[in-house]
Amino acid sequence: MSCTRIACLVLLLIAMTAGAAMAQDDVVIDFYFPSATANDAEGIFQRYADMFQEENPGITINSVFSGSYTDTRNTILTELQGGGAGPDVAVMLSIDLYSFAEEGYIVPAQSFIDAMEDGDAYVSDFFPALMANGVDEMGTVWSIPFQRSTPILYYNADLLAEAGYDAPPTNNTELVEIAQALTTDERDGLLVPVAGGFPIWMYQSFAIAYGRNIVSDDPTEVYFNTPEAVAAVEFVRSLGTDLGVGPAGGAAWGDTPVAFLAGQAAMIYHTTGNLSRILDGAEFEVGVWYLPSGPAGEDGSGYGSPTGGGNLYIFDDGSKSDEELDAIWKWVLFLSSPQIQSDWGATTGYIASNATAWETEPLASRAMEYPQYGVARDQLQYADKEFSSYATITIQGIINKTLESILTGESEDAQAAMDAAQAQIDGILAEYK
Amino acid sequence: MSNRSGGVLRYFASVTKTVIAIVFLIPLIFTLLVSLRPETEPVTKGNIFFGSELTFENFERAIAIAPWSLHYINSLIFVAGTLLVQLVTVTCAAYAFARMRFLGRDLLLMVILLQLMIPSGVLLVQNFRMINTLGLFDTRIALMIPYWGSAFGVLLLRQTFREVPIELEEAARIDGANLAQVIRHVYVTNAIPAYLAFALVSVSTHWNEFLWPFIITRSEAIRPLTLGLNKLIKTTDQGAFYGQLMAGTLIVIAPLVILFLLFQRQFVESFARSGIR
Repeated sequence: MSCTRIACLVLLLIAMTAGAAMAQDDVVIDFYFPSATANDAEGIFQRYADMFQEENPGITINSVFSGSYTDTRNTILTELQGGGAGPDVAVMLSIDLYSFAEEGYIVPAQSFIDAMEDGDAYVSDFFPALMANGVDEMGTVWSIPFQRSTPILYYNADLLAEAGYDAPPTNNTELVEIAQALTTDERDGLLVPVAGGFPIWMYQSFAIAYGRNIVSDDPTEVYFNTPEAVAAVEFVRSLGTDLGVGPAGGAAWGDTPVAFLAGQAAMIYHTTGNLSRILDGAEFEVGVWYLPSGPAGEDGSGYGSPTGGGNLYIFDDGSKSDEELDAIWKWVLFLSSPQIQSDWGATTGYIASNATAWETEPLASRAMEYPQYGVARDQLQYADKEFSSYATITIQGIINKTLESILTGESEDAQAAMDAAQAQIDGILAEYK
Repeated sequence: MSNRSGGVLRYFASVTKTVIAIVFLIPLIFTLLVSLRPETEPVTKGNIFFGSELTFENFERAIAIAPWSLHYINSLIFVAGTLLVQLVTVTCAAYAFARMRFLGRDLLLMVILLQLMIPSGVLLVQNFRMINTLGLFDTRIALMIPYWGSAFGVLLLRQTFREVPIELEEAARIDGANLAQVIRHVYVTNAIPAYLAFALVSVSTHWNEFLWPFIITRSEAIRPLTLGLNKLIKTTDQGAFYGQLMAGTLIVIAPLVILFLLFQRQFVESFARSGIR
């Protein structure tokens, strides 16, 4: 091949890329969403964008699929640190708040809410537990709940009935009893997905059930070595050792629902985000119930689960025009409206985040047909904040590593390991106080 | 005596080769098996081969999730566009380092060598900043630019060029060849195996590239195959759809595997001759 021919090819390539740039008069909103959702998340968002654009001529929604939650956070951080424009609106974990607020990349939703006529009504329609992670210690609302979830107990009602249990376990004692009765050589009685590097979320539900969450409203405080926190991790570890109802070290996140659907697990702890997949995929009767209560008591204080999932964040470094910000807020309002939340909840199984959505079609009928949806919603009254603090990612990493070493038996003395982790965490948080 | 020990050696070698071949084949075979199992029958202890039936359901679902033909075209353009420019830059640089004398040549070569040791992730933000300043964010060119020079290619070809007898170049010069003709007819002709080896490494690396395309592109219209595959990884909330993921993996790797099977002999020979193993 001669040099001129190669040069021609290069020129051709350059010419091809030039076509990508095009003129656009509309306000364009770049919207990034992660893939933790339904299989056809892109199709769903395209449908929402079409609906929105019809109602709001002059605004174009540019939906960008941005990988997992972690991919999404990293993409946005790289882009912003590298001087790029970044998204206008993004769905990110509700616990990402402090990481992005500290850097000044996002603006609070509060200023938009204050400018609304019925702002208070808008906010109070959301379930309070789902707002907990989106509000800072001063009470300012930063992000709006969008695709939210909590862990719940899924059980194979057919297997329970065969063994003579008509109702799901409501406390840890019953949980262990039923799990042991249902454990066979081919089947686990109970799978709790704490293996594979991210045990913190599931673990939090046990910590809450033992009486104390590991976080509070104060982002500079973490309570990881309390007697409750230690007892909780010891209980989870015993499921795979002394009690023998599941694999030692816990189950992997991705394998758990697969094993449940295949009849290889009688009960599982998993996210409500999986409800639709499990209901559609199961060939047996699927039961769903609150996570069983722990020693903290059955008056409700022993119930509890953390919330999880993604919120809508608004990005602005101060350079966006009022017209753009107005369009951005309209899109956020649209996605969090009862109409869309109802549709999103019914399609995916995520908990529609405002009360009105549950009285709106299609979710109203779906919840009527499958009462399981309502259980997830009702458990929210006992739900608590998901782990989030300053330096969230670093501290979460320390907690995950510590929990994993305890659960796998690498650290035998849970208290000692958690004391060490707590000291490390306090050291990190000291500079934020 | 020597005959017999040679026979034993050969026998031993072929057993070893078979074992190694099996070890390398296992992941590929396992991928194929999982992709053909029904989604409701996960792989478990003692049940790793076939499910109750063979199904193409996973492929159907995987195909429906991403615009694969578009991704194929994008990957081809990305890989070809990168390789073509690399061949030019790498040839010129390799000749300069192999045959020309200039101030700081060895130092410069060291710097290029050093670049091999920097993990590309470290440069992510800086590369992004550069692309953004050039106004190339979310374009095909942005995908390729960082790879238009290749330290590996320069070193490999420099080594190969140095082995070409200098007399050949001198003879060509006496016959009136200019620099371009010398490079083209003396060096390139004698380094075809090295070029083939370099092309193979370059193509497979960029075919599998995920992070950079992910960070630097936003439009579906220019995103390569690996980003389509990323859509199949649903381990975040919904658990793993292994069947679907494996089907997608096969869709993505198929061209490379087929290409390799077709040109197996040439590839192996060129690797052996160019000294990379």
